Amino acid sequence: MDGKVIVVTSGKGGVGKTTVTASIGAALALQGKRVAVVDMDIGLRNLDVVMGLENRIVFNIVDIIQGKCKLKQAAIKDRRIDNLYLIPASQSHEKNVIKPENMVWLCSKMKKEFDFTLLDCPAGIEQGFKNSIAAADQAIVVCTPEVSSVRDADRVIGLLYARNITPKLIINRIVPKMVESGDMLSHDDIIEVLSIDLVGLVEMDDKVVVSTNTGTPLIMQKDSKAGNAFQRIAMRLDGHPDLPIENPMDQKGFWKRISKKFSRKN
Amino acid sequence: MTDHQDPPVRLKGVGDSLWVTVDSSLPSERIYEEITKIFDRLKHLAINAKVVIDTGDQDDSDQLVEELSGFLKSKFQVGHVFKAQSRKHTHDIPDERGPDASETGVVTQNDSLIIAGRVRSGQTIEARKHLVILGDLNPGAEAVAGGDILVLGSLQGKAAAGQPDNINAIVMALEFKPTQIQIAGFVVAGNPRMVGSVPEFAHIENDQIVVNDYMKANPFKRMNWPEER
Ligand SMILES: Nc1ncnc2c1ncn2[C@@H]1O[C@H](COP(=O)(O)OP(=O)(O)OP(=O)(O)O)[C@@H](O)[C@H]1O
Ligand SMILES: [Mg+2]
Repeated sequence: MDGKVIVVTSGKGGVGKTTVTASIGAALALQGKRVAVVDMDIGLRNLDVVMGLENRIVFNIVDIIQGKCKLKQAAIKDRRIDNLYLIPASQSHEKNVIKPENMVWLCSKMKKEFDFTLLDCPAGIEQGFKNSIAAADQAIVVCTPEVSSVRDADRVIGLLYARNITPKLIINRIVPKMVESGDMLSHDDIIEVLSIDLVGLVEMDDKVVVSTNTGTPLIMQKDSKAGNAFQRIAMRLDGHPDLPIENPMDQKGFWKRISKKFSRKN
Repeated sequence: MTDHQDPPVRLKGVGDSLWVTVDSSLPSERIYEEITKIFDRLKHLAINAKVVIDTGDQDDSDQLVEELSGFLKSKFQVGHVFKAQSRKHTHDIPDERGPDASETGVVTQNDSLIIAGRVRSGQTIEARKHLVILGDLNPGAEAVAGGDILVLGSLQGKAAAGQPDNINAIVMALEFKPTQIQIAGFVVAGNPRMVGSVPEFAHIENDQIVVNDYMKANPFKRMNWPEER
C-alpha cells in the first residue's frame, strides 16, 4: 500500500513548522514506520541542522529532481533513529527551480518507499508553498497563540480547502500562565476562528532549543512537555485518531476530550 | 432612488486602497475642505493607507493630484498616493495579491447572494446586490455588496455594503465584531471593545455610520407596509 504525504505549513514564519516536522517524523519512526522528512525551503534549508545531519549532505532534493542522483542516494539516514530519513533542501538554488509537477513525481516515488513523507513547507504562500501542497494527501497547519499567526493560518486553510485538502491544526508555543492571565489567546479562541480539527496542543518548552542546538531529537528527552505532546500527535496521525488531547491549561494533568466538540466531519 | 448630484469628493475602499473621487472642475478650496472632512472621519485608518485619486477624465489634473498627495501625506500621514489611470478602471484596481486571492473567493454575477460557510482570511465575497452569509466572516476576510450585508453568524472581517453609493444599505450581524465597516462612501473602523453579544446593525445617520442594537432599533419594524429591498 502507498504511504501518506503530509505537508506541514503555517503561512507565518517561525511558528514551529521545522520543529513539528522533525519531532513528528522522529516519533513516527520510533513507532516503527518508515519515515522521510523533506526540507522544502529551497535556499534557506534548516531541517538538516535541527536534526543534526548537516555534515552528511551530499545530494539534495534539486539533484533528485534534475536526475543527478537517485532518491536513495539523497536520503540521509538519521544517526539515532532507524527508519528515519532526511531529504535536504538545496542551499544554492533559486526556489523556482522546482515546479509542482516535479513534486507530484517525487512524492509518487516517495510513497512507494515510505509510510510517511513529511514536507517541511517554507513560510509564505508563494512557490515553495505551492510546490509543497501540490502532492500532499494531508496537511498539518501550525499556528501559535498570536493574532497574526491565526490570521495567516486561516489564509492557508482557505487555500488548502480550495485544493481539496482538509487540514488538521497544531497550536504551538502555548504559555499556560499567559493564557490564564488573559495575555495570550486560548486554544478555544483559536479553534473558534479556524474551525478545523485539532490534532495537538504544544507548550512553550526550553527543551526545544536545547534539542535544536544539540541535534538530539526532542521526543527522546523524556521530561519534555513539548516532546511528549509531539509523540501523542504522532500516535493520533498513525492509528490512534481518538487519543485524547491533553489541555495544557489543566495543571492537574487531567485529559480532556476537547477535540470532538469542535470537529467537523467532511 | 433620488436624483441627486454627485458630491464633490467621494471616498470608497477598493481592495486595500482608499479610492477618492474628486470633481476637479470645482475650486480647489472646496475640494480641500471636503477632503479634510472625509479624512478627519477616517482617523487612524488613513495612516499609511494607499490612496488613489480619481479626477475623472481630466488629463490636466496631474498638478491637482500632486498637491493633494502632499496635503494628504502631511496632514493625514497617508502612505502612497496614486492618480487613477482612467475612468473605466474606477471600480477595478489591480489586485496585488495575485491569483490566490480570487482563486479561493466567490464572485457572483447575480443580484442577491446567499452563501453558507466560513469566509476565511484573504477571501472576498462579492454580491451585486444583497449578501447573506450563513456562517462567520473571519478576521482578514471581506464582504462587498451593492446592497445590504447580513451575517447570520459572527462578523469579524471587513464588510462594505451599499457599494458604490447606496447610502440606505445596512450591515447586520448576529455577532457584530467587524474590523471595518463601509457603507456607500463612508468608512468606520471596528472597535475592539465591540462585544457583539446582541445582533447589531450599522447604517448611515446624519452622514455617519452608526451601530445599533438590531432588536431595539430595528428601523424596518416601523414600516407599515412590507417593501422589496
Ligand atoms: N514549543 C516550543 N517551545 C519553545 N520554542 C519553540 C517551540 N517550537 C518552536 N520553537 C522555537 O521557535 C523557533 C522557530 O521554530 P521553527 O524553526 O521550527 O519554525 P518554522 O516555522 O520552521 O520557521 P521558518 O518559517 O523560519 O521555517 C526556533 O527557535 C524553535 O526552537
Ligand atoms: Mg522552518
